[in-house]
Amino acid sequence: MDDALVRAGRALRLVLLLALALLFLIPFYLLVRNGLSSEQDITSPRWTFLPGELRWGNVRELFDDPSVPFARSLLNSALIAVATTLGTLLLASLAGYGLARIPYRHANKVFYGVLGTLLVPAAVTFVPSFVLVSSLGWISTLRGLIVPTLFSAFACFVFRQYFLGFPRELEDAAQVDGLGYWRTYWLVVVPNARPVFAAVGTIVFLGAWNSFLWPLVIGQDQSAWTVQVALSSFTTSQVIRLHELFVAAVVSVLPLLLVFLCFQRWIVAGVERSGID
Amino acid sequence: MTMSRRTLLAAGAGAGAALLAGCGSNTGRGGGSSGTELTQWYHQYGETGTEQAVERYAAAYKKANVRVQWRPGNYDQQTAAALLTDSGPDVFEVNGPTIDQIQGGQVVDLTDLLKDAKDAKDIKDDFNPAVLGPKTYDGRIWGIPQVIDMQMLYYRKSLLKEAGLAPPATLDALVDAARKLTDSKVKGLFLGNDGGAGVLGGTPLYAAGLTLVTDDGKVGFDEPAAARTLGKLRQLYADKSLLLGAPADWSDPSAFLQGLTAMQWSGLWALPQVQKELGDDFGVLPFPGDGGQGKPAVPVGAYGAAVSARSRHKEAAREFVRWLWVERTDYQEDFALSYGFHIPARISLAQKAGKLRTGPAADAVRFSTDHGFAAQPLLWTPAAQTAYQDALSRIIRSGADAESALRAVVGKVAGELDRVKKAKKAS
Amino acid sequence: MRRRGTLWFWVFVGPFAAGLALFTYVPLLWSVGLSFFDAHNTVTPTRFVGLDNYTAMLKDDAFVDSLRTFLLFTAFIVPVTYLLSLSLALMVNRVKRARAFFRSVFFLPAACSYVVAALVWKMSLFNGVRFGLANTVLGWFGSDPVAWLSSADPPWYWLVIVTVRLWLQAGFYMILFLAGLQRIDPVLYEAAAVDGARPGWTVLRHITLPQLRATSVAVVLLLVINAFQAFDEFYNLLSDARGYPPYARPPLVYLYYTALGQGQNLGAGSAGAVILALIIAVVTVGQARWLRLGRTDADG
Repeated sequence: MDDALVRAGRALRLVLLLALALLFLIPFYLLVRNGLSSEQDITSPRWTFLPGELRWGNVRELFDDPSVPFARSLLNSALIAVATTLGTLLLASLAGYGLARIPYRHANKVFYGVLGTLLVPAAVTFVPSFVLVSSLGWISTLRGLIVPTLFSAFACFVFRQYFLGFPRELEDAAQVDGLGYWRTYWLVVVPNARPVFAAVGTIVFLGAWNSFLWPLVIGQDQSAWTVQVALSSFTTSQVIRLHELFVAAVVSVLPLLLVFLCFQRWIVAGVERSGID
Repeated sequence: MTMSRRTLLAAGAGAGAALLAGCGSNTGRGGGSSGTELTQWYHQYGETGTEQAVERYAAAYKKANVRVQWRPGNYDQQTAAALLTDSGPDVFEVNGPTIDQIQGGQVVDLTDLLKDAKDAKDIKDDFNPAVLGPKTYDGRIWGIPQVIDMQMLYYRKSLLKEAGLAPPATLDALVDAARKLTDSKVKGLFLGNDGGAGVLGGTPLYAAGLTLVTDDGKVGFDEPAAARTLGKLRQLYADKSLLLGAPADWSDPSAFLQGLTAMQWSGLWALPQVQKELGDDFGVLPFPGDGGQGKPAVPVGAYGAAVSARSRHKEAAREFVRWLWVERTDYQEDFALSYGFHIPARISLAQKAGKLRTGPAADAVRFSTDHGFAAQPLLWTPAAQTAYQDALSRIIRSGADAESALRAVVGKVAGELDRVKKAKKAS
Repeated sequence: MRRRGTLWFWVFVGPFAAGLALFTYVPLLWSVGLSFFDAHNTVTPTRFVGLDNYTAMLKDDAFVDSLRTFLLFTAFIVPVTYLLSLSLALMVNRVKRARAFFRSVFFLPAACSYVVAALVWKMSLFNGVRFGLANTVLGWFGSDPVAWLSSADPPWYWLVIVTVRLWLQAGFYMILFLAGLQRIDPVLYEAAAVDGARPGWTVLRHITLPQLRATSVAVVLLLVINAFQAFDEFYNLLSDARGYPPYARPPLVYLYYTALGQGQNLGAGSAGAVILALIIAVVTVGQARWLRLGRTDADG
């Protein structure tokens, strides 16, 4: 009887999971359905699960639209996301390691100084940040879009927690071999910390790709638009073209899904061994 | 041996160089040909061809090199932020300028652009006073109106006929008609997805014979009539006659064209599209008057061309504005009528325009001449606007008591009017 | 030795700290400074007004109302997200087949931007007319379309906001819990089985949950900070060209309109932001004390 109960429980769990999975997939389905529909099909009073005709031409229409440089904005987003990710990883991992491992009297104060910024909503500092970046002459430049976002307290925090839990023995051995902090870090620590780099890297990449307000205000020139800005340009005009909007959304999400599916295994592994908690 | 300082520096320099290489593409201003460089901003217009048109005008200007920037997203916020810095636009269109922008010295005085034009005639009078008024402060002009936008009520003739209704001439008739036109498939009226608080703004007040701000700078709706009229908007909502939650908001005629609603409040710009899809089966109306003092009301407004006080080439920027928005009437006409559908800000051009002489377009022009009021009076600050709109939302959607809701707004608006008055004295 | 440590500490931490100082602390202090000035349309104000901006903000019904709303919102969304992501993690962790599939499905929404998610929710899933998916389903049961985002009574807009938020965020916290679960020593479960504990509730309560304590603390902290800083999905779902309705208005959205829109009252906006940051700090620190965050290092 116990066995039957356990089996029933297992079946129930599977059914529940499948139902939830289905719910979670609905928005993706809607994105694709609407993106490949004609305007009439989207707004048709009779619901159809698939449009009468799958219009792949919508994708071409999107890239041919002369008023929105969509291809350019994809390229910008890719450049920005990659540069932001690499830069953040470098800066935050070094800082995290220093905070976790190098003895310094005021290390704790510095750490709380970093941590404290997590509590401050970005919108609080928005206008002064903008004025600052503008006075550096970085408006509409990739520099202005990238550099100010490189200093992520969250990433630094995760790295520190991870390195705190890093097995000391490895580093001690390196020290015995006469390696200083710098070479120990590059030769011993980094190669053994790949999961956390992958985890933080993915999160930063997602954030950079999806961020909106900063690129909107800094990327004044059309040639500096990111994909989110381009996307918003479809919704702000007086007339909304739903199919173009949805197909643009699909195209903007695809690269991320790919990155994501490739790296998610690493994220779990990275989180597991870092003390994000 | 530990890590030498030299290795460290080399590594640092390498990283720095890579960073710079990656970030090197400066897409910003500067460079290029001789002469002055000017940047001009527009908000993103929905009508195809507008962007190409303004690029064309800019290219035709010979005395300076004008670069056009076409800005999606929240335009007001972007210009406001940009005006705080040196990297903002030289010339920009603005739904204003606001009183705080003027008092804060962020925009340049443009009064003489309308005075000593080539033929030495005062052409100020050729601009529609309803839109030039809100750009005038202390007798000086701070923005040159580009085109007039007006809003009105579109209705389906066939649907009204079926229901045996005449086009509503009073607010009560509108409430009544909206209720009768509503069935399970079609709603009677679309005033925007928020039930009207956003787009209508002060319109119902003007329809009741009141104002937002009086000519002498006092609160214009501290009267019982205000609460009475706004309460009728609540009636529309409570009757479930309003279309809500349409994918495209009031500014887009989609809901009207898709048959989701029998009547819709929208802009003149929607007219060509409506005409194309519905042919003769539609008419237009002003917002109907309400009560004894009431009269029909039509909100008009205009984006104005302004010059930033932080521009490095203020004189050149002013010259460009004079050239485009005062002298080149051919471009002004093209901009108003060739893409979307707007009324030229110049009375002489509006009278000349063939497209505006017949049918619903002619009605629209007549409405704005006879019933037009400035949708955004200069002294109506954003803070006042927010307070009023919040109250209107609560009245319409939550059934808040109109009288007490308005009382709080009157206090807040009076405070804002006071602040602005004091700022004037201080400056 | 110590001096060497200090040098190397700054070699590692210095570049990051310098950047943080320039791009976070300078704007932050600047903002705090603005909050004591009459700063309409300027970031270099001259008229010092002391605490006037603070009293004005605290007397501003709309701002206080949004703070109150968001205390309630936090009290609601934090436990709900917590429970959903924990349940997902427990179920995914126990499932034998297709675990990677389920994990991916629940995690995938984290890759979507708020802009895209809001688009789907507003235009397709929960639009107020007959071709929205939710209304189509209602229609099958003979119900009239509901104006999900426009209706203030009942406040259906909360349903839209909460579902989009759960969809976007649950997966990320699920991953945190999954990682925590995988760190639990299997020996503990074996010992429990030997002691005769039945799998299920008892094991969950006496082994799994206590072992997840560190993860739980972190998740709750992140959730609280996120709830108070809510902006994107609210803004993208509810605002229109004319502003934001007085319903479900997050403090940050209100400040955004006060300071960043044409409002440009940077003094009052900054004062409100400081008030908000203080509330977040008090709540977070209080909660960290209460949950004794200090223990976590020993735990990990």
